Amino acid sequence: MMQSEFIRIMTAVMDVGEMMLTSGAEVNRVEDTLNRMLQAYGCVRVDVFTITSSIVVTARTADGESFTQTRRIQDYVTDMYKIERCNALSRKICKSALPAEELQKEVEGIRKEKSYPGWVRLLAYGGISAVFSVFFGGTFGDGAAALLCGLLLFGAIELCNKLKLQRIILTILCSAIVGLGAVLLTGIGLGNSVDKIIIGNIMLLIPGISLTTSVRDMISGDTISGLLGLCEAVIRALAIAVGFALVLWGFPG
Amino acid sequence: MNEVLQTCMGMLGAVGFAVLFHVKGKKLIVAAVGGGLSWIVYLVVLERYGDKALGLLASTVTVGLLAEILARVMKTPVTILLVPMLIPLIPGSDLYYTTSYLVRGQTEECARSLDLVIREAGAIAFGIILVTCMVQVVLQLANRLKTVKIG
Repeated sequence: MMQSEFIRIMTAVMDVGEMMLTSGAEVNRVEDTLNRMLQAYGCVRVDVFTITSSIVVTARTADGESFTQTRRIQDYVTDMYKIERCNALSRKICKSALPAEELQKEVEGIRKEKSYPGWVRLLAYGGISAVFSVFFGGTFGDGAAALLCGLLLFGAIELCNKLKLQRIILTILCSAIVGLGAVLLTGIGLGNSVDKIIIGNIMLLIPGISLTTSVRDMISGDTISGLLGLCEAVIRALAIAVGFALVLWGFPG
Repeated sequence: MNEVLQTCMGMLGAVGFAVLFHVKGKKLIVAAVGGGLSWIVYLVVLERYGDKALGLLASTVTVGLLAEILARVMKTPVTILLVPMLIPLIPGSDLYYTTSYLVRGQTEECARSLDLVIREAGAIAFGIILVTCMVQVVLQLANRLKTVKIG
């Protein structure tokens, strides 16, 4: 295989790994997938090191040449559909290795895949908030208030993302907005428990999933990933607390 | 009656998050069924033994096995099915109260609540790992049996 062609293949394979990690795949799944794909392209030795914020791969081809590529992972958007597609692509390649050209095309295809449109996500935000407010013991009135706050939260998050605000600031602002919304809505008589309204929305903000995943990473031996995830989760929880603190100072009791 | 309402809400919540996570098609139904099942198992164990962490562990193991089996039937990664199923179990409420106590300066309640959250997250995580290990052992045994028969 030509050297330039191998580099193109490796870059495409790294793209798959990056997409999986940003979409929320577990660290050892990413490592396993990269390993299998590169071996399918005839590498005699593949060393993959992945943590939640970085991927490092060194592959040795049959000619004895070594290639290394690294990726820095910045932000994550959970996207199960992408994980599924990447997984299917890797299975396909393990059966028969595609040429570089086609591999790149497949990867681009997955990247450009359309997800649910904005209005569905907006409804999901409202729905989830309402549902969990009732789930955690709120009344239907609380649920209705939580639904409105959920819609507000979606708008706030979209706006903050457009403004490219830093994540921590985004979390503080959004939780403050939700808290303010809950206080105002109970003030005009919709819903009666500020706590229950906020809890419905909090499921969307709180790092519950990353908390669970990072504990899981740690138990299964990926200690560094687990610690990174845990720190991020703790910082986000604190940011949420700060957001509510702002509202509580303004409206004590 | 309250429990029925709660379970229905859990199912809807699981589907909602599945949509946010870009899960599509038939898997949304799997998310609803799994989300409901996870909450029912949790409630039953909690009722019988009165321990939240134990309830979460039992529930995670149950839906974990369900997800492993369905993932093989539907030929899809386990996470895609498992994560939405676990949504009702996520200790969002307790995490909220922890931060809320922190803000209000109620240190003692905050510590107690934090301890609870850590045990809850630990129980879920341990449940997931337990299932993964069980499945690996079973698959290896099955493989060995197969080769013995052929050989």
